[in-house]
Amino acid sequence: MNLVYLAYRNMISKPLNLVLSLLLLVLSVSLVTFILQLSQQLNGQIDKNIGPVDMVVGAKGSPLQLVLSSVLHIDVPTGNIKLEEANSIKKHPFVGSAIPVSYGDNYKGYRILGTERAYLDSYNAVLGEGRYYEKSFEAVVGSNAAKKLGLELGDTFISSHGLVAANAEAHEDHPYTVVGLLEPTGTIIDQLLVCNLESIWDAHAHGEEEDDQEEDDREAQDNEEHHHEAHDHEAHDEEEHQHEEDGHDAELEITSLLVTFKSPLGLVQLPRFINENTNMQAALPGFELQRLMGLLGSGLKTINGIAMAILLVSGFSIFISLLKTIRERRQELALLRTYGLGTGKLLRLVLFEGLFLAFFGFLFGWLLGRLALVVASRYIETGYGYVLQIKGPDLMEFVFLGVTLVIAIVAVLLASTSIFKLNISKTLADE
Amino acid sequence: MIKTAGLNFAYSGEQSFDFPDIDLVPGEHLLILGPSGVGKTTLLHLLSGILPASSGKIFIDDVEITALDRKALDRFRGAQVGLIFQQYHFIKSLNVDENLQLRQRFPKKMKDNERRYRLAERLGLSKQLKKKVTQLSQGQQQRLAIAQGVIHQPKVVFADEPTSNLDNSNCDKVVQLLKDEAEISKSSLVIITHDQRVSQHFSNRITL
Repeated sequence: MNLVYLAYRNMISKPLNLVLSLLLLVLSVSLVTFILQLSQQLNGQIDKNIGPVDMVVGAKGSPLQLVLSSVLHIDVPTGNIKLEEANSIKKHPFVGSAIPVSYGDNYKGYRILGTERAYLDSYNAVLGEGRYYEKSFEAVVGSNAAKKLGLELGDTFISSHGLVAANAEAHEDHPYTVVGLLEPTGTIIDQLLVCNLESIWDAHAHGEEEDDQEEDDREAQDNEEHHHEAHDHEAHDEEEHQHEEDGHDAELEITSLLVTFKSPLGLVQLPRFINENTNMQAALPGFELQRLMGLLGSGLKTINGIAMAILLVSGFSIFISLLKTIRERRQELALLRTYGLGTGKLLRLVLFEGLFLAFFGFLFGWLLGRLALVVASRYIETGYGYVLQIKGPDLMEFVFLGVTLVIAIVAVLLASTSIFKLNISKTLADE
Repeated sequence: MIKTAGLNFAYSGEQSFDFPDIDLVPGEHLLILGPSGVGKTTLLHLLSGILPASSGKIFIDDVEITALDRKALDRFRGAQVGLIFQQYHFIKSLNVDENLQLRQRFPKKMKDNERRYRLAERLGLSKQLKKKVTQLSQGQQQRLAIAQGVIHQPKVVFADEPTSNLDNSNCDKVVQLLKDEAEISKSSLVIITHDQRVSQHFSNRITL
């Protein structure tokens, strides 16, 4: 039997009052922690994903769309570009590396990406099991995709057209074989099924006639991918080719080229050069996403502002609730004075109660925020293939807990002035 | 045990009470009698130190409580004074036993389960220990209030109409208990009462 226990019993003695005074706090804490985690994780993931790419070169269209589709894999591509034309950029002195990527198919909603080994290396992806792909229709699978699709070494899967699972048309004559499983990287690679460029070309060369029937249903840009002319697909079937040196590439297409700069001057000159002198467009992921986050950021800030306002209101509601409690328990407090508890101890009693309220409110709010994150993660994963991690409390949240407790302490001090003016004799003599 | 000199209390302006001097040796008891409105409860509150006197001195167990600061007075009262109020006050969020524990705990840090159970037994509250205080009948509440007044073995017990809601059998039990407890702790009882059943047990009395 001590003050802490008494404060706890006082707090839970009126459950409805308790719920009422906690409700606002729970709401604001869950909002703040949810938004905090969401923006942190999205920013973190995006930063990681655009890390190895300084510039994307793809078909003309929206630069943001090009970045979203080719780097973050959350949008449809702007179209295709000629491999030959893309290769000409590689020779520019400011270009450090240039990795071609080609995609347009999925397996149960997970994108199949045709590219070179250098793509995996640029994200520091390492094999957990198996080997890298060596020929067409061999695939290495990102960790999350493997887990969600239940793919293991030696498994085969059939790709289907388009980038979402709903597109039913399948390339049944070209099943892929899983030859490698990648370790988790925390990047977009975890969500991808990666194969060589030839696989993409070959799959579409064979499926061409079928594709034509569906042309009307699809967006023009989407259609572009179906028109890979594979004049020499026979040769591609069994061996890896050095396409950049292949004189017959004239008709081959890729979706985009992921470029790093050798010199900072590339940043200044190359995008302009490409945009003005070629049929392709160059987009800078850092710049485009900063623009996007600027837009999203103001939305997040608004929500945060609302959450903070709710927090203040909840501080006020704790204040009111404590004020009410102190009034209602006037006689109990006077009784405790006759038990020898000084005003300091009574203040501590109310303080404990206020801190309990704040702490439990924060705890429930935090849990609710994490629950919301789980739900959001499921939603984002189905829609975009991104996974949000459910982490323990981080530093910012501890700071936020501190803020909440301080608000509670202020509320207690404001509410408890009457404790110091308590007239024991009169209070106890009253009915 | 209790000694007063020239005690006076004035309610803001109009009403003023002069109280006769009291001098009790340890183990000596006192009844305070008199009609309503003459300041019996006021005197009890003054003696127990929950109401500051306008003038005069009060000594309890040779401590001049009228000279103590608020903190020291709180502590002294908690340890040495038992109060049984006319209106009962309990901590409503705690059950009967916890209310008694709380009184033992502050400020003496006693933890004597045996004593609590024995006291509850004598007051017929054994079956009520786990109940909420609001579930008790008037008579049970009054007996709990009496238990709260003596559970921590104070030097003096002040009781204001402690038997108003009790039947004859319970009244006898309570008076006997109060006397026994006073005997054990060598403490003094100061009781305000109109109740013949109580007053017949005590000879030392003042009338206001």
